[in-house]
Amino acid sequence: MALERWNRKLHFYSGLFLFLFLWLFAASGLLLNHPSWNFDEYWKNRRETNYEREISNPGPEVKGDLAQAHEIMRQTGIGGEILWTTTRTDTNVFDFQVRRPGHYFFIKADFARRVVSVRQADVNVWGVMKVLHTFSGVQLDDPRNRRDWALTSLWAYSMDGVAIGLIFMVLSSFYMWYQLPQKRVFGLIVIGVGSLACGVFCVGLRWFF
Amino acid sequence: MNPTEVAHVAKRDSFPMRGRFYRVIRDLHLYVGLLISPFVLVFAVSVFFLVHAWVPKIGAESSTTRVVAGVPLPADLENLSGRPLIDGLKAALKAANVPGEVGFVRRMIKEERLIVPVTVPGRETTVSINISNREATVVTRETGLADALITLHKAPGPHGGDIRMNWFYMKAWRWLADATVYLVLFISVSGVYLWYVLRAERKVGFVLLLAGAVLFFGMTYALQH
Repeated sequence: MALERWNRKLHFYSGLFLFLFLWLFAASGLLLNHPSWNFDEYWKNRRETNYEREISNPGPEVKGDLAQAHEIMRQTGIGGEILWTTTRTDTNVFDFQVRRPGHYFFIKADFARRVVSVRQADVNVWGVMKVLHTFSGVQLDDPRNRRDWALTSLWAYSMDGVAIGLIFMVLSSFYMWYQLPQKRVFGLIVIGVGSLACGVFCVGLRWFF
Repeated sequence: MNPTEVAHVAKRDSFPMRGRFYRVIRDLHLYVGLLISPFVLVFAVSVFFLVHAWVPKIGAESSTTRVVAGVPLPADLENLSGRPLIDGLKAALKAANVPGEVGFVRRMIKEERLIVPVTVPGRETTVSINISNREATVVTRETGLADALITLHKAPGPHGGDIRMNWFYMKAWRWLADATVYLVLFISVSGVYLWYVLRAERKVGFVLLLAGAVLFFGMTYALQH
């Protein structure tokens, strides 16, 4: 009985705690699935600013592109996730991108002139939502990208937390349903229909085609 | 149920309309939740793969190569691009027995080749068509269940809106993914209602709702500023 009671309590406690996270990922998932919708256009409506900052060239102790990018970001006061560094043909020139939800920084460092040119694009709330949905700092098809900002890691682990919460809510709902004998048959039919429809896409299509 | 809840249920049942509404919402919450639970699990489990760029090998991964001669190509092939090109290549893909969602088609002008990626969740096929002799080299890679979940989680996605959903089953998946979102929104709102009816749980619930909101807004604020 205690298990039943706590299972039920934890089901809605986790739902309430994750409520806004669920809405964010659900709504942004819908937006990402419909690129033809216009009301949520963010890139065309971005606000761009360009500026230059003088910098001290990174010393010899700062080795590698990533360390140099961090040093430039420290001097210019820019924080965020480094997306990638391009291959350098001239050691005096260094281009890289930094992203954080709502802001994109396109950074060009000229070590000969000791100047950094920054093109900053700020996007609207729709852009923030879409980036939050995918802001993990890593990409399946590009192993060079690693998380290099603490807040990216925090957000990535919070996405894990939301996923764990969702899985728990699904499993706890199965338990609660099973405790209701009068609803078992119809519930089983409903789960069967859902599983069949989902299973067709997860494994069935490979069998059929 | 504790005595407070029993008293509340008794009070609720003394108002038949309110009691009926509660029961309808409670049943809808249960059955809708059960219906979409496999979809929610697909989206939730694939989060770990996407967030950590990690694809566990569930099932054997295999690759096969075969050659198909005499595939039909549209007469105005060089004038086609985007969705018309994909539609034009449908006959060639059918002749090569390669069903699935067609991705971005690459033209190798010097080699007179078209590289056509075709995806079925859990399988990636690359069809390389030699335009001059109409020969297609088909490389099929079975990528497994985890990769299938990733493909489904990301489909259709924000990129290439003009060419995506060129296979009926992926179009159907988008409808189902959209329906999952709408139903998740419904069960979250109905869940809040069902919690709110339980007076004994209101205080703890409010604290958790508030704690979640503080964490959510705190994190999103920190990420933006």
